[in-house]
Amino acid sequence: MKRYIAIKLGEMILVMLAVSFIVHVALELNVGDVAAKVLGQFSTAAQRQVWLKENGYLDPFLVRYFRWLGHFIVGDWGQSLRFRTEVISLIGPRLAATGILAAATLLVTVPIALLLGIAAGVREGSLLDRGITVFSVLTTSIPEFASAVFLSAVFVFWLGLLPGASTMTAGFSPAELVLPVMVLSLYTAGYLARMTRSSMIEAMASPYVRTAMMKGASLPRIVFRHALRNALIAPITVIMLQIPWLLSGVIVVEVFFAYKGFGTLLFEAALNSDIYLIEACAMVGVVVVVVTQLISDMLYTWLNPRISFRDVGRREGGA
Amino acid sequence: MSGLKLGRLRSMLGGALHPAVRPLAEQATRGEIGRREFLRTAAFLGVTAASAKAFIGDLGLVGEAAAQGAPKQGGTLRFACSVMEMKDPALVTWAEPSNLYRNSLEFLAEVDADNVTQPYLAEGWKPSDDLKTWTFKLRPGVKWSNGDDFTVEDVEFNFKRWQAPDSKSPNKTSFAMVTKFEKLSDLEFRLTLDRAVLAIPEMLYAYTCPILHRKFDEMGSDWIKNPIGTGPFQMTEYKVSSIAKFKRRDGYWGKPAFLDEIQYIDLGTDIAAHVAALAAGQVDVLYRVTIAEIELVEKLPNVRLLRGKAAQTVVMRMQVDQKPFDDIRVRQAVCLAADNQKMLELAYRNRGVVGENHHVAPFQPEYFKLPPLKRDVAKAKALLAEAGYKDGIDLELVVGNTQGKWEQDASQVLQQALAEAGIRLKLNVMPAAQYWPIWDKVPFGVTFWAHRPLAVMTLDLAYRSGASWNESHFSDKNFDAALDKAMGIVNPRERSQAMEQVEKILQDSCVIVQPFWADKFAAVSAKVNNHRPHPADYFRMDRVWMT
Repeated sequence: MKRYIAIKLGEMILVMLAVSFIVHVALELNVGDVAAKVLGQFSTAAQRQVWLKENGYLDPFLVRYFRWLGHFIVGDWGQSLRFRTEVISLIGPRLAATGILAAATLLVTVPIALLLGIAAGVREGSLLDRGITVFSVLTTSIPEFASAVFLSAVFVFWLGLLPGASTMTAGFSPAELVLPVMVLSLYTAGYLARMTRSSMIEAMASPYVRTAMMKGASLPRIVFRHALRNALIAPITVIMLQIPWLLSGVIVVEVFFAYKGFGTLLFEAALNSDIYLIEACAMVGVVVVVVTQLISDMLYTWLNPRISFRDVGRREGGA
Repeated sequence: MSGLKLGRLRSMLGGALHPAVRPLAEQATRGEIGRREFLRTAAFLGVTAASAKAFIGDLGLVGEAAAQGAPKQGGTLRFACSVMEMKDPALVTWAEPSNLYRNSLEFLAEVDADNVTQPYLAEGWKPSDDLKTWTFKLRPGVKWSNGDDFTVEDVEFNFKRWQAPDSKSPNKTSFAMVTKFEKLSDLEFRLTLDRAVLAIPEMLYAYTCPILHRKFDEMGSDWIKNPIGTGPFQMTEYKVSSIAKFKRRDGYWGKPAFLDEIQYIDLGTDIAAHVAALAAGQVDVLYRVTIAEIELVEKLPNVRLLRGKAAQTVVMRMQVDQKPFDDIRVRQAVCLAADNQKMLELAYRNRGVVGENHHVAPFQPEYFKLPPLKRDVAKAKALLAEAGYKDGIDLELVVGNTQGKWEQDASQVLQQALAEAGIRLKLNVMPAAQYWPIWDKVPFGVTFWAHRPLAVMTLDLAYRSGASWNESHFSDKNFDAALDKAMGIVNPRERSQAMEQVEKILQDSCVIVQPFWADKFAAVSAKVNNHRPHPADYFRMDRVWMT
């Protein structure tokens, strides 16, 4: 297990190096753009040149990359061009805000989805199963930007029940969290419910469940004691995959509701070619993906002791 | 002239009136120029606003209706506006941050919501007859929020800073013609220019020109850390991309503001979120509403859509030294085949004024009305054939959508119109952030031009030979000479006549397809009073009040 974790962390560092290099190449091909963005579109060429020189942009590309890398390792993540402040001080609060959003979404999604999935999977083909399947297909196939518009049309413009923007400028407000969580949950719950349903169907058809049934065990006992634990492996994978998605992939929802999270930070950074900020966001993204993967791998062994990691690192080498 | 009460008009600096005041007053008396024109030019010529208003009042020309009801003191106003970085106000690159510091920092002159220039920190000014020397008199009794007196030293510090060799401010280019700054007294200074410039007071209201305290650089060149200003509000909180707060301060030299506090709330880039926040009562004022949202805003209860005219426009400009646009017949074909009226109707829902391909707006003071443009597809085809493109021509137009998708909509209408003449237009649409670095480099592109109080300000920047923002590379000696002539004329009617030639040369050279002048929109909750759309989005909040 320790060996496995060490290999995973080593891989993570390699991925971070590769990603950071690619981001640097992509963003710094045309450094003139950076000066134009900072000084405005109407600055003169001479003014841009002075700025580039002062900020070390005229050095060769590799020099700039390794200088950035050296600083990054010791915790100096550079200055954001757009916010004119330390990148490292920007990331924390934004990550926390998105963490709250992600946690709230999981808190809503997971119980609902598991419940729906189990209910549907226990009696395959029943009316309830069909109803739940239709519902989950429907919600999964509506993209967030569409459901965001639809839900705010209903709850903000029509009923006037909920706030339309979720900036949280006056401090944390649960009401402002409702719409973004609703949009994200609708999207993820359907998918998760379908995954749970199919693993549940599989578990219910397995020999040990049949044996339990023949022994006359009650349905709740069969479901919760025998089938569920095994049926949870696939949904757990999905849930763990949702966490990196919830941290970086919720840009659409965060931007739509003006929620000041990690997604909007990355979005603003990308819009403004804010190189150090994009780099930092990418690095944080890599860490989140690898760590959630590690956690989900460990959860597997707890759910099903037959899965072991003694050879995994050697066999798979990656994700 | 008998009956002309010139005696009522007073010079701001005392002494004799500028020689151009008399013909101006005569034109106003004969009704040849309107109230705004008179007030604008009178202020420009150094006539006090009060005496000019009294004069115009005698002529029976009354102004717009005043705000309804008596203003109420107090309240907090929440303004949806991007909270951008603004450590050094002379370096900001967008108007948004200026709307924050405009509550605390003030300018020498102000161009108000009616596009009329008014005294501000300068109590008055007077240009020499040749418009090459400008004398300014500062308002006495103005104090900085830290208790210091506001003096000519502060102004000198700012001018020096803008013009310093290492200055990165756009002011360095715009005030390059100022060769000398002379202190005449504690409250008076004189600018000497190397050429005649008409619009010095207007230029001093550009958003990069707020007057900073003379010790700004000594205190660390960071206005966020030391938000010292002469204005009616004091900044109390500031978080980039999140929130900024301004509280009314005591000891302001002018009339105290009505509001207790203004909060600027950053709602990100998606205007749909802004409208939703206004509908839900989370904010009271939207900085800007685009054409895409106005129909929704009009339907919202307890919300008012504000609409204003502004000399803001998009131009589809062609670089006259790039193939195939170096052949004027190709440019003529493009202009003849384009349908400006249709672009206004379809892309901007008819909420604006059709453009005439010369970048002078009918509501700018120097506008001269030329015969209307006529669309002529047959002639466009003939010109193309003559230029060697019998089977039509392929062109690419770069669209940055810097103000919204309506730029792309207008380009699509253009695409359809040009197709009729055999011009196959390909649209290359890219995000604004990608577009700005190349806005002046592409051979054929759509550029948004913001409002300028005077049309000559734009023409001087964008179409004079070798001008810094001359994106079309247009260069014509006759145009430059005609523009020089117009820019040296103080009297609005005479200047307008001189503009006939300027407009005609530019229109005939077919440098731009200018579909329309786009109206400006903002939205406020019904509680907000006296907030008016400003043609350049330069809002002053001290006269705004809430019920």
